[in-house]
This record gives sequence, C-alpha cells and structure tokens, in this order.
Amino acid sequence: MIELRQITKIYNKGKFNEVVAVQDVSLKIEDGKIVVLTGPSGCGKTTLLSIMGLILTPTSGEILYDGEPVLESSDYWKTNFRKEKFGFVFQHINLLPQYTALENILLPLYAKDTDPGDFMDRAVELLSKLGVIERANYLVEQLSGGEQQRVAFVRALIKDPKYLFADEPTVFVDEDTSRIIYRLLQDLRDKGKTIVVSTHDPELIKIADEVHRMDRGRLVQTK
Amino acid sequence: MIKKHRNLLSYSFDCLSRYRMRTAVIVVTFLIATTMVSAVLFTKEGLEREAEISVKMAPDLTVQYLKAGRVELIPIDYADTIAKVEGVKSVVPRIWGYAGISTYTFTVIGLETSSIPTYTTFGSIESGRFLTPEDAGKGNIVIGKLIAGLLNVKVGDDIILLSESVEANKFHVVGLFSDASSIYTADMIVMSIEDARKFFRMPDGYVTDFAVYVEDYEQPANVAAKMSFMPNVRILDQDLLLRGYKAAYGARGGIFVTLWTILLVGAALVAFSQAVVVGHESKFEVGLLKTFGFSTLDIIEVRLVESLVLGFFATSLGMVLGYVYAAYLNAPGLVDILLGWAFLPREFRLPVYVSWSSVFSIYAVTVLPLLITTVVPAWLNAITDPELAMRRAAA
Repeated sequence: MIELRQITKIYNKGKFNEVVAVQDVSLKIEDGKIVVLTGPSGCGKTTLLSIMGLILTPTSGEILYDGEPVLESSDYWKTNFRKEKFGFVFQHINLLPQYTALENILLPLYAKDTDPGDFMDRAVELLSKLGVIERANYLVEQLSGGEQQRVAFVRALIKDPKYLFADEPTVFVDEDTSRIIYRLLQDLRDKGKTIVVSTHDPELIKIADEVHRMDRGRLVQTK
Repeated sequence: MIKKHRNLLSYSFDCLSRYRMRTAVIVVTFLIATTMVSAVLFTKEGLEREAEISVKMAPDLTVQYLKAGRVELIPIDYADTIAKVEGVKSVVPRIWGYAGISTYTFTVIGLETSSIPTYTTFGSIESGRFLTPEDAGKGNIVIGKLIAGLLNVKVGDDIILLSESVEANKFHVVGLFSDASSIYTADMIVMSIEDARKFFRMPDGYVTDFAVYVEDYEQPANVAAKMSFMPNVRILDQDLLLRGYKAAYGARGGIFVTLWTILLVGAALVAFSQAVVVGHESKFEVGLLKTFGFSTLDIIEVRLVESLVLGFFATSLGMVLGYVYAAYLNAPGLVDILLGWAFLPREFRLPVYVSWSSVFSIYAVTVLPLLITTVVPAWLNAITDPELAMRRAAA
C-alpha cells in the first residue's frame, strides 16, 4: 500500500519564480488497483506521480510504503527500492534513441546482479503480448510513436515490478495501441500489481478502481 | 555482484560507441597532445641520459687556461705542475676543435697517444681499433659512426678534412665508434695530438686543455681543490659538465613540455566542452538510469570506466606515436630546437629514453583531467532527483 501524508512540492522555493506544484496532498492507494490521477494540464499530476515513484523529493510531507516511511531513507536505499519494486512509463517515452527496442528493454537490468540475457524470454513474451515482437531489433527512431510506447511498457515491466507508474501513457498513441494498453493494465491489476496512472483519457479512467482529480496542486475529488 | 559490474562495464563500452563524436574528438585531441608531449619528454630524457653517459666517458677533470676570463691555449708545461698534485694519476694533453666535411661540422680531438691511459673510455669500438702510440703523426683517425655513415666510409678508407685555412688534409680511418646515437662519439674524430696540431696549425708548446685522471682513492673534487693554487686555470669536473648538459637540454625541453602541457590543458578543455555538448543527453540518461535503479556509485562507475578507457587508450597510443616520431622519424621540426646544434647533421639519431616517471606523469596530466571533467558532472547529476535531472536536460 502507498500512503501519502500532506505532500507538498514547491519548485524554486523562496525565489521570484516559485511554483507550488503539489499542495498538502494526502492519499492512500491499496495494492492491486488501478488508480488514476486526472485533472487539467499543470495541476501537479506528473509531480505527484514522480514523488510517489521516489524520483522527486517533496518539499514536505511523508510517503509510506506498506506502512514504512521512506523519505528519510538514503538515496542508495531509495534507488534499490526503485530497482526492486517500481516500473516507470514516461509521458515522453524516454527510450534511448541509439539503442534498439530490445536493448532499451534490457537496460534496467544492467543495475541488477543478474545476466540481462536471462530475461530474454520475458522480453519476448511481453513484446509479443504488446504486438511489437517483430520490432525488437529495430532502433528506437525506426519505431512509430505507438510502438515506442509499447516498448516503453515492456521496459517498465521487464523486472516484474510490484508498482507501475505511468504518466499519460496513451496521450501520443493511436486507438489500437490505447486498447492494448488498457488490456495490459487490467491484466497487471488481475495479477495483483498496483498501477498509478496520470491521464486525461476517459477510456482509461473507465477501467480505474479509483480516480483522483487534481486542480492547482490539490486533490479536489476522489471517486 | 560480479554480474552487476560486468553489466556496468558492458554499458560503459556501449556509451563509448554511442557517443561516437565525443569519443572521436577526445581521442584525436588527446592523441595529438600526448604525441608531442611524449616526443619532447622522451627525447629530453634521452638527451640527459646521453649526457650522463658522455660525462662518464669524459676525464675526471678537465683543466683549461683562462686569459681575461676567456679560454685560451694552455702551455704544455702546465702538465708537469698538474701531475705533481697529490691524487693525480695521469695528465693527457688534448688539442681539439671543429672541422668541416661538406656542409657538416664535426669535433676533432687530438690526444697524446703515448699517454692515453688504458682506463680511458671513448665508447666502444665497433670495428677496427683505437689509437696507439704508433699512430702519432701518421694521420690515423678513429671516427664516430655518424660520420662514417654520412661519408660512406669504413675502416681502411681515407677521408679528406678541410682545415681553417681550407687546406685539404688526408686521414686514414683505423677505427669506428660503435654507438650511432651517442652524442659524445657520433660527431667525433679522434687523432694523435701531432696530427691535430698540424691540422689546426697550433703553435708548439701549447694545447687546448688537459684531461686529468685521478687516483681511485681520491675524489676529483678534492684534487680540483688542490689545484686551486695554479693561476689562470679553470677546472671542470664531471658534475659541472653534467649540469651544463642538463641545463641546456632541460631548459629547452622544459619550454616545450610547458607549451605542450598548455596544449594538454586545452585538450582537457575540449574534453570538458564535449562533456557539455553531450551534457544534456548525458544528464537525461543519468536521470533515466537512476529511475531504473542505478545508484550514484553505479553511474560513477560507468563514467569512470568510460573515461579511463578513453584516456588510457588515447594517451597510450599518443605515447607510442610520440616514441615513433622521436625515435624513428627523428622528430622533424623539434630536433633542431631541442638540440640547438646547428652543426649536428640530420642523420644523427635522437637518443630517446622512456622512463616510468615520464609515462606516469603523461598519464597523470591526461587521464586525471579527463576523469574530473567527465565523472564530476555525472556525479552531480546522479545526486540530483532523477525527475529533475531529466526535466532540466529536456529544458
């Protein structure tokens, strides 16, 4: 379970260009659910997602994973926690362009004490499931936007993470790819994974177990 | 943990090929800089080492005559006075100067063949023999291998030397010194003092200087001190000669080393600018890797390996090229300035010497700046929140 307690994030605090991105957000996310953060652009969805994913430090507040506070932990501990538990899908996909799809997928495994080659079967399985197996050895720049997003999902899932954080995963993809992603997220939920997604996509909101609407950095509505 | 380090190593090599332009710019820049620095350093050390060898071949003491502070011919009867100084083993009168062959100038040394001690060393003889008392006034000479090569002569051949009054003097080669690169013997022509006196038209009763050899139990400096009662003489010992040699090569080499070190600093700046050029890409990548669970130490390890591989490869190759440039190509464009000897022919092979200290110092001035300019920015990125690092890189 993820629990956020009075999370606030202020960029450039005390400067003329100070921005309050997230303000006093408290939230509990049960395991095995699809949770959607929605709201207008600039409302703080991505910032909150990043804070939950421990890739951005909040200005104040606390985060608990399975009841354990994590923000005061060392950078090394948080890094290891991310390595073992998290998968990320970014809005801008963030694949390394000089690598092939398969090389990008195996990249997260380089930080683990394991042979990335041992994960080849899983990579093939996921690529097949998302319909991009024939693109495995293509360079990223040779893939369409939808294919890139599907590869990004495979990369996020290659370590079989407990938590998946996806930022606007359907914003730049076509309907077919969107449908594949909806199905994938539902399958992951059925397997007990916890998925937190920021999105405007109404179809994605439909499959969510919880929807939290944000506005100007605050949680304004929960369904 | 071994598999993880193997993965990181593999990733480092991937980065080298992925950032091809940065890799190429750093390699080429460091290659040029280290080639030149290495050539100068190796040659400077070679010259200094040759100087040490040359000084060992020189007599324990050299006594010259001074008149109005200038070196003049010394009366030969000074030899008797010097010989009586306690600790002096022998005194060998010498007449020496320079002679021209074609466009080249060589050192001519005339020795009193009857008093050449058996313990003197002029370098080993490759073919033929050294002078004996029977060679006095017979026009027999022993020459450096460089001269032999230039004139294409061998033992048994005759050569013509022009005196200052442009008179042709024929000499017969009886021996060749062996070492082609020895500064001391390369341009040397050794003959009897009678032949040298005739060749240089030097007045009877005078010589250029005296080579003095001291007893084994005595220090040359002590003997030199005992000679201080003699007026108007200058006494040179081996240390003084060595200091003179080293000051000459060291100063010239030092100027070059300084210049090329400046170039190396420039190379480091190029490396840094390349790090900045790919900085946004690299910064983004570091943020992404952190997101995947790469620790700060993992990131540093990746960049460290990249820099070490690049730095050691470029520097090692530069040193090899520098050695080839100096030892095999004779350092064109550098040799004249470094040696400062207008009369030394180009055929002279530069003495090149590679010491561990030179190799270490070259690595230090190349690899260390590269490490700093690449690892430090990576570390700074790695300790930033990954999301911020990626966002700033994208901005």
